[in-house]
Formats: sequence, structure tokens, C-alpha cells
Amino acid sequence: MSGKKPKQIAIYGKGGIGKSTTTSNISAALAEAGYKVMQFGCDPKADSTNTLRGGEYIPSVLDLLAGKRRVDAHEAIFLGFKGIYCVEAGGPAPGVGCAGRGIITAVELLKQQQIFEELDIDIVIYDVLGDVVCGGFAVPIREGIAEHVFTVSSADFMAIFAANNLFRGIEKYSNSGGALLGGIIANSMNTPFHQQIIDDFAERTKTQIVQYVPRSLTVTQAELSGRTTIEAAPNSAQAEVYRVLARRIAEHTESKVPVALNPEQLREWSSGWANQLVEIERAAERERVPA
Amino acid sequence: MVVALKTRDTTLPGANEHAGSIERLRFACSIGAMQTAAAIPRVIPITHCGPGCADKQHNALSGANGNQGGGWGGGGVAPSSNATQREVIFGGTERLEELIEATLQILEADLFVVVTGCIPDLVGDDVGSVVRGFQSRGAPVVYAETGGFRGNNFTGHEVVTRAIIDQFVDAYDGPREAGLVNLWSLLPYQNTFWRGDLAEIKRLLEGIGLRVNLLFGPDSAGVSEWQAIPRAQFNLVLSPWLGLDTAKHLELKYGQPFLHIPQIPIGAKAAGEVLREIAAFAGISDTAEPFIVEEERKYYLYIEAFSEFYSQYRWGLPARFAIAADAAYALALSKFALRQLGLLPASVVVTDNPPIEYRDTIVAEFRALDHDTTSEVEFLEDSYLIHERIRAADFGHKPPLILGSTWERDLAKEIKGILLEVAFPASYEVVLTRSNVGYRGALTLLEQIYSTTVRRTA
Repeated sequence: MSGKKPKQIAIYGKGGIGKSTTTSNISAALAEAGYKVMQFGCDPKADSTNTLRGGEYIPSVLDLLAGKRRVDAHEAIFLGFKGIYCVEAGGPAPGVGCAGRGIITAVELLKQQQIFEELDIDIVIYDVLGDVVCGGFAVPIREGIAEHVFTVSSADFMAIFAANNLFRGIEKYSNSGGALLGGIIANSMNTPFHQQIIDDFAERTKTQIVQYVPRSLTVTQAELSGRTTIEAAPNSAQAEVYRVLARRIAEHTESKVPVALNPEQLREWSSGWANQLVEIERAAERERVPA
Repeated sequence: MVVALKTRDTTLPGANEHAGSIERLRFACSIGAMQTAAAIPRVIPITHCGPGCADKQHNALSGANGNQGGGWGGGGVAPSSNATQREVIFGGTERLEELIEATLQILEADLFVVVTGCIPDLVGDDVGSVVRGFQSRGAPVVYAETGGFRGNNFTGHEVVTRAIIDQFVDAYDGPREAGLVNLWSLLPYQNTFWRGDLAEIKRLLEGIGLRVNLLFGPDSAGVSEWQAIPRAQFNLVLSPWLGLDTAKHLELKYGQPFLHIPQIPIGAKAAGEVLREIAAFAGISDTAEPFIVEEERKYYLYIEAFSEFYSQYRWGLPARFAIAADAAYALALSKFALRQLGLLPASVVVTDNPPIEYRDTIVAEFRALDHDTTSEVEFLEDSYLIHERIRAADFGHKPPLILGSTWERDLAKEIKGILLEVAFPASYEVVLTRSNVGYRGALTLLEQIYSTTVRRTA
């Protein structure tokens, strides 16, 4: 063991926002740049690392734990694109058991067996289900696990609500040595006002935008072929967007405590934006129909 | 059953009396109600919980409390799913199904009651669907969700009772049998003397001409009594609050009326009052009277003999008492001590955390302890605070009488008091059939109080 401490980051975001896609592309870009990377999917669906392994599912830590009395963490680690270590926490079927406890158990197992040190990993990325509904899903941001948290959010209000909830979790754990916020990865940025909304939210919560990722057909095509954009379309503009993002994350050192909005502030903020959007819409309408 | 969430003050412990932590408990957690099931003859609880839950509860309730034993189907007999991390993460319904299946093959009982602990209740196991599968096969199984965080074993008792009524006792809209009564009173096992007390209450009720579905203990016929619940003329709730929810439920379910008497009768005075009230409600005042007269005749002959000792003993008899017990015993014993022995209350604490909505009634009962004497009552669960109250109480110039639990052993030495273990946990007692209620129990209680008093000088 080298004794080197890996850089551990956690990526949160509302379900379906493009979190796993973004995370897998970051992992791929980092691996391409020569880093030893582990991607740790923390979602009972256990599909975070699919595009790193040609669309293939891998057995999860909890599948293995359920099958035998003693599990060697190595059995839960599978190699993906350019040697990325892929791990899925897994969890119960929808509607039964406690997925949060599953995440805690899976993270504990790898920590306990000192796998990161043994494999001499440079960067561990936890890809976590975004709504921090219970303590289990907050485990990667608690003391001793990840140091930096990034959130993937679109300009969609529900995605921003989920990001704000995450900020509340970070604020809470920041007093006890938990992870701090690195910034927002702004996803599906198609129009200038999408960017304005997310910029405004970042400013209000005293954080930063790490990268603007436009919505792109290239990503969809790559996903459908079971690969990341980095692998399937390495020369595309979108791949370059992910490379810049990955570089920023690799170089990122200073995270902060965000200032989460309280529910009332958040409501006021979103209704302010709703009015502005109506205005933008009306202006566009006036342009299309000249008097 | 959902009870109100406890309020937690934000100030630090020590700065207030309700900071949340309590020491030296005076009840068990909700799954302690496994012993409610075990208290019914030929009924076995099946515990779906983590390792240690069932064992701790029954050891506390039936071992450290009167050394009562777990019973025919409770304690160490009760099967357990022994849920671990696997059942937390993936849910424990498959494990429960396997456990019930195996139980039905190996154990013989008239009814099995699945009680759940914190693990299945927290992760949301659909225990109902598992148990309904067995019910549809005709297996005598019911389920009660009794996770420890839901409340104490008093709460659990009501949940188990409700589960048996709703899942096992058939729907009934036939005629009711005059003179048949369902008794809802002391909490089995929690009350150290429940077996003997229920037997004495049954004797009194039969004495005045009623037939009783006693429901719990050696003097009950078991599940046949439970099945006869809907046929009863009325429900009798003989306790300040426990059983009231059940009686209200039965009123809704079967249109069955109920009579609520907060005072469990101890001694001739209370027994006469209570039995006359019950007889009037049941419409059997005529048959009741001769029994009461005969019981009083015998009772006062014993008291007459006792009065010589009482008036002539010169080495210090108590004049005032402190009591720390559940609402039922606190009220019943306070009334007896005051109205039949002439002892004044110095400190009264109710320890079973009664639901907020019933507390005013309990306070009112203590304010009307006798026609010329009132007492304040405090609701405390923390033994540190309870002991503070007893230390601060004014016992006059006579030795303090403490009607409490084993937790008061050291305190009794400290204040040179006379301790009678009448409340949970009564660890320095071995209790089989002894009773403290009715006519006979009152005399036994009197013997205990004054035997303990005279032994001080031995």
C-alpha cells in the first residue's frame, strides 16, 4: 500500500437529471488523463457504471453480501473503460427493506477492507441518488468519506429543489467534518435563460458553476451503444466539455459550505423566475408576430 | 396505533426535567406486549425483531419483576426471526414467512400472535400481507406492530389486544348475553401481581352474579373467552386509562356499552363502592348485595384482629406514604392507604406515561382521593426525578412508607424508610398467586406492609 490518500468526491442530483451519465464521463475522462479512478454507484438500481462496461450490469456489493457470509471487497470490483474500478452498492427491490442502510453497509465494507489504499486509487467518485431522503444517502458526505461534493442540476425547478436539499445536508454535516460543496455541474443547458437561472441560484447559495454541459444527441447515441461519450465520440465537442469538467474536478481543492435557501426563500426565488420566464415567452411571441 | 410524538426540549439535560433521557426504567418497550399474548392460556407470541429484543423485554417483565417466569408460551418459548442486517436492507418478510411456517409445524397453540420490533417497523416490512396469507389458509395467526419506538408496553398491550379482536374474533351481530362481562384491567406481567389480582377480581364479579371473560391468566379459559367477547353484555374498564381505547373500539365495532371505573378496588370500602356501581350498571343490584355483606363481615373480623396490633405497636408505624407506580396501582393503593389505613400521601408519582388525553382524569381522581383529602400527582418516568421527589417529601416524624419498586431499595435505606415492592420492577419478590386487590388481596397487602414494618426491628 502506498499510504496515499485518494481524492474522494461525491456527485449528487435529482433522479433522471443525467447524474450517472455525467459521472461516468468524468471517470472516463480522468482515466484517459492517466488517473486511477474508482466509480462507486450508490443507488439501489445499481446501473451507475453501465456505460463504463459496454452496457453490462455488475453484481452489487449487497448482492454478494446477501449470497455469502463473508465478502472480499475485491469480488465487488469490476474493471471498466481504461481500467476504471467499477463498484455498485446495490440494494433491495423497490418498496421493501431499507436502501439507505444498504448504501451505508456497502460503503462501510470497502472502507473497512482499505481497498482504496490497496489499489492505490487517485480518485474515488460516488454517484449518489440525489434526494437525500435519509441518513443512508448522506453517508458519502459524512465525516471520513468524500471531501468534495458536486451536484448535477438542470435549470428545472425540481432539480434545483433537490440541489438545495443537498446543500442543507452539507450545511448540517459541515460542523462535524463532513464534505463541503465543490459546485454545481449545470446540465442540459440549451438556452441562455437556463444558464441565467442556474447562475442566479449559484449566486444566491454562494457557490459556483463548475461546468455548463449542453444537452446533446451525441450523449444519447453513446448511451444507447452502452458507452460514455468519451469512449464513443472522443473527438466530439461534448467529449471536450466533459474533459474540461474532469480536469476542473481533478484540480479542485477548495470546497465551501453553501448557503441553502429556506423553503420560503426558495418559493419566492422560483416564483420570481416564473414571472420572468413568462415575460421572455411574451417577448418571443411579439417578435414572431410583428404588429 | 399512533401515539403523539414526544416533545424534546432544546436546552441541555439538567437545565430542565424533560430533556429526554431517563434512568432506571419502569416499563418495557412496546414489543414487551409479547407477554400480553403469553398471558392468554395456550397462546404463543412469534417475535419478528432483532436479536435480544424479545429476550430483554421478557427478562425485564417476568424475570426481574416478581420472578414470574415467561409462561407457557412466552419468554424463551417464543420463536423469533432474529432479524439482522440482511432483513434491514432487503426487508424481512421472507424470513417471517419461513418462521411462521416452521412455528406452525413445531409448536401447538390455540393462537399465535406475531409481534414486531423496531427493525421491521422501521424498514416497512409488510407483515400484514404475510400474516393474511396464513389466515387465509385458516391458521390461527394475527399480527401486531409493536416496534419499540411506538411507545411502551402499555401501548403495545393495546395494539396486541386490538389485533386479536380485529383479526381473530369473528364479526358478530347476534344477541348479547346478560350477565357476561369482558374485563379490561391490569397489564399482565408489568403488574407483578396480575395473576392473583385478576383471579380476585373475577371472584368478586362472579360473587355479585356476573360471568367474566377474564381474558388473561390461569383463571381465564383462553381463546374461547376472546371469541366470546362480542357476546358480552358490556365491557368493564377497571383502570384509570389502560383498556379505555379497547372498550371504545368494541363500542364502535359491536355496539357494546362500557363502564369505566378508574379505581381498582382494594379493601372493603372500595370493593363495596365499585361492586355496587358495577351491579347497578349490569342491573343486578339485588344479587350483589348479599355477597358484599358477607365479604365485609369476614373482612372486618380480620381488621378487628389487626386493630389490636395497629393501636398498640409502639416502635414506629408509618404515618405517611410515597408511591411511585403505574396509574392503576398508584390510584388504587393510594385510596386504600388513605381511606382504610389512615396514611396520608406525601408524594405521588405515576410512572407509566399515560396518554395526554387521559391525564386530566387521573389528576381529578387524585384530587378527590377522599371526601376530605386531596393529593397532587406527578407524571414522571425518570427514576432520578422520582427519587428527588421522595427525598423532598414530608413524612412527619414517623418512618416513611414507600410503595415503589426495586429501584427504591437504596433510597429506602438512605431515608430509613419501609419499602414495599409493588411496582415494576419488583426484583426481590417471588410472586405466584399473591394479590393486593379486592377483599383478600387487601388483607395480604396489609400483612405485607406491617410485616415489613415490624421486621425493621428484628
